[in-house]
Amino acid sequence: MNVASVSVVSSVRATAPDTHGLTEKISIRNLDFFYGDTRALKSINVSLYQGKVTAFIGPSGCGKSTLLRILNRMYDLYPNQRATGEVRFDGQDILSPSQDLNLLRARIGMVFQKPTPFPMTIFENIAFGIRLYERLPKSELEGRVQHALQRAALWDEVKDKLNTNGLSLSGGQQQRLCIARTVAVRPEVILFDEPCSALDPISTAKIEELIDELKNDYTIAIVTHNMQQAARVSDYTVFMYLGEMVEYGDTTRMFTTPNDRRTQDYITGRFG
Amino acid sequence: MALYDTRRRRNNIAIGLSVGATLFGLLWLVLILGVLLWKGLSGLSFAVFTQMTPPPGSAGGLLNPIAGSLVLTFIAVLIGTPLGILAGTYMAEYGRYDKLSSVVRFVNDILLSAPSIVIGLFVYEVMVARMGHFSGWAGAVSLAVIVVPVVVRTTEDMLTLVPDTLREAAASIGLPRAYMITRVAYRAASAGMVTGVLLAVARISGETAPLLFTALNNQFWSTNLNEPVSTLPVVIFQFALSPYKDWQNLAWTGALIITLAVLALSVLARVLTSQRKSS
Amino acid sequence: MVDVALQGGTLGAGVSVDRSKVLQSFRLSDAVFRHLTRAAAIAVLVILGGIIVSLVQGSLPAMQKFGVGFLVTESWNPVTEKFGAIAPVYGTIVTSLIAMLIAVPVGLFIAVFLTELCPMWLRRPIGIAIELLAGIPSIIYGIWGLFVFAPFLQQYVQPFLIGTFGEIPLLGGLFAGPPYGIGILTAGLILAIMVLPFVTSISRDVFEAVPAVLKEASYGLGCTTWEVMRYVVLPYARVGVIGGVMLGLGRALGETMAVTFVIGNAHRISGSILAPGTTISATIANEFTEAVGDLYTSALISLGLILFVITFIVLALARYMLMRVEQRLGK
Repeated sequence: MNVASVSVVSSVRATAPDTHGLTEKISIRNLDFFYGDTRALKSINVSLYQGKVTAFIGPSGCGKSTLLRILNRMYDLYPNQRATGEVRFDGQDILSPSQDLNLLRARIGMVFQKPTPFPMTIFENIAFGIRLYERLPKSELEGRVQHALQRAALWDEVKDKLNTNGLSLSGGQQQRLCIARTVAVRPEVILFDEPCSALDPISTAKIEELIDELKNDYTIAIVTHNMQQAARVSDYTVFMYLGEMVEYGDTTRMFTTPNDRRTQDYITGRFG
Repeated sequence: MALYDTRRRRNNIAIGLSVGATLFGLLWLVLILGVLLWKGLSGLSFAVFTQMTPPPGSAGGLLNPIAGSLVLTFIAVLIGTPLGILAGTYMAEYGRYDKLSSVVRFVNDILLSAPSIVIGLFVYEVMVARMGHFSGWAGAVSLAVIVVPVVVRTTEDMLTLVPDTLREAAASIGLPRAYMITRVAYRAASAGMVTGVLLAVARISGETAPLLFTALNNQFWSTNLNEPVSTLPVVIFQFALSPYKDWQNLAWTGALIITLAVLALSVLARVLTSQRKSS
Repeated sequence: MVDVALQGGTLGAGVSVDRSKVLQSFRLSDAVFRHLTRAAAIAVLVILGGIIVSLVQGSLPAMQKFGVGFLVTESWNPVTEKFGAIAPVYGTIVTSLIAMLIAVPVGLFIAVFLTELCPMWLRRPIGIAIELLAGIPSIIYGIWGLFVFAPFLQQYVQPFLIGTFGEIPLLGGLFAGPPYGIGILTAGLILAIMVLPFVTSISRDVFEAVPAVLKEASYGLGCTTWEVMRYVVLPYARVGVIGGVMLGLGRALGETMAVTFVIGNAHRISGSILAPGTTISATIANEFTEAVGDLYTSALISLGLILFVITFIVLALARYMLMRVEQRLGK
């Protein structure tokens, strides 16, 4: 490591939040990511904690979505993309080739930018994932579906039309359906990749409320290009720029007294 | 201004030619369909569907060739469709970025437009010559060889249209690849894939050449596929080229039946496609 | 009912164990399905390979007997077992040539009409009509040609052609001879009608893919419709159009039933296109089931091999061109 990167690491560490007493769910160490020969992520070091929301912010192209998609090995679906370094989930390195990807993705769920309900009924959308792993009697399955929809704050709106196609819902409802689908499989971590960027303000507010409730039971990471959203929703924030971590800290502190000049410039809107 | 006039004149000539060409093309459509309806409709009766092919000079119908065509088409689709869907699935999913898929795509396009008589020769060499006799099975196989490239092409095209975000959503709840393909991608592409099968059926409904020396022809009613089977296109071929008037009339009626079937399938395929677009 | 989810995110160890058992079975079904699809893809290659191998194998006896001379001998005598391919090959090429000479300009003009001149509400019906023309099975073209088109040509068109061109030195030879009605010209004309929809729809697709800004820029300069098509759209779409034309050519070369009815089935080359002739596919269709003797059959299969090679080359070229178009569009 050259002098410049040492100083970056130490400056990031200097402002890292106080995490005593918290359970470390995911720990990322020295993570690099490559699209072909291009290095998109450089030496990422950060941890996600149980019961907390960590937001990733930064201008377009800084690598925040790329980072998120490493956590559930989504990049494995495409050729010429690889990650080096260490990502430990409950102590196990998930970058290792022997990692069972289906199991990993069942434990780390993801909600995408564009709502993508399956081409099935609302009930089937949720039951599909549950049935994959468990054989349940009908009443128990229905109970699980109802519970998932309640957790996603969607139950009251769809309880009378569970047999209609998922695609017939509005954008905000579809996104909550996707959240319910993710929750139904009982993950431990939920990753949100710009979940509200395709939604209107009212749906956005509902989903932010949801995230606030969900964090009690899950570890949450959210990528957002909306800084105010990061400030509203998260406990910790990571600011990224051009593939590197620039600053990592307690959200309130970062937004009021940022340590790095670049963080301040971004937050105050001087670029991005 | 002279140059402008020349340009305008040229433009008008070109426009005239374009309109003329279109009318010319439509003219043939009208002529062919018109004659087909006129000559075929007069012979169309209940008897056509219930009576067997007659010897020259007596009355009869087209029962055995219609039945034969239906059976061979059904078997051809049964054999060719799964093979085509699986191959298309490989090319769109597991093998999307690999070399094998590009080679298969190229070969498939060649097979798609290959002369069907050559396919008949191929099945003759491989099945009829080996077995020592013509058979309905050989006929069905030659039709299946025509079905496969059509289904491969439409399956690959339709699956490629399914957005990657849907695949990622399925992967994100831990769905294994095979489930993602069969339960999610197939469902999303289902209308298109059914359309592909319909198009394949329309295509083989009128195919004569490959049947000429595989299933051959049969004057009698036979349910044994190990024997030659009579099919509508081959019977039309035989009857039309004969000197007998009533055979020729039956040939026109048979031609009308095939054309109506092909048109009905095309309309159905079109309806399915537009349904998909609106959903 | 005690709900695990209400009690917090992590699952108990028992549930995890169940999950991994299920995932084990997934691994197996995943592998089976992947290999199944791969095998099916390879099967497509095997089909092509099988066609080539069986054609070559079947041609061997004739190839060994006649050698390269097969390609240039005109005689076709099942009795003396002397076979030559030149008459069918000539017929195949000439009928296809006639077909393309007519279908290409007409098809292009129809495509121009459909993309530039046709009112919106008419576009779909005419497009459908053109597709209908493509969907009509070739045997219908065959009987229509034999019973309607050929007599029409015999009565009106051919005497006119003979009368008009008969005296002109070189051209006269081309249109000489009694008006049979059936013959090479008739077959070529029917092929033209069959190939027309292919050329039209591919040209239309390629024209529509030309960026609107390009056309708008030239209209903006004051170009007439014709000038836009000729100097901007057509050059831009040139490669795609050629690809479509070759695709149509591939179809014309291999067409069997329509041609068999009207070509006259005469194994000879004559200078006049009004005379009867034969094509490769017509010969095979007419004679295969009556071929007695291995050499006769083998000669017919050799014809099939020649046809396959010709169409393969044409189709490969067409594919190459259309691939270049797709690359250009950035697909």
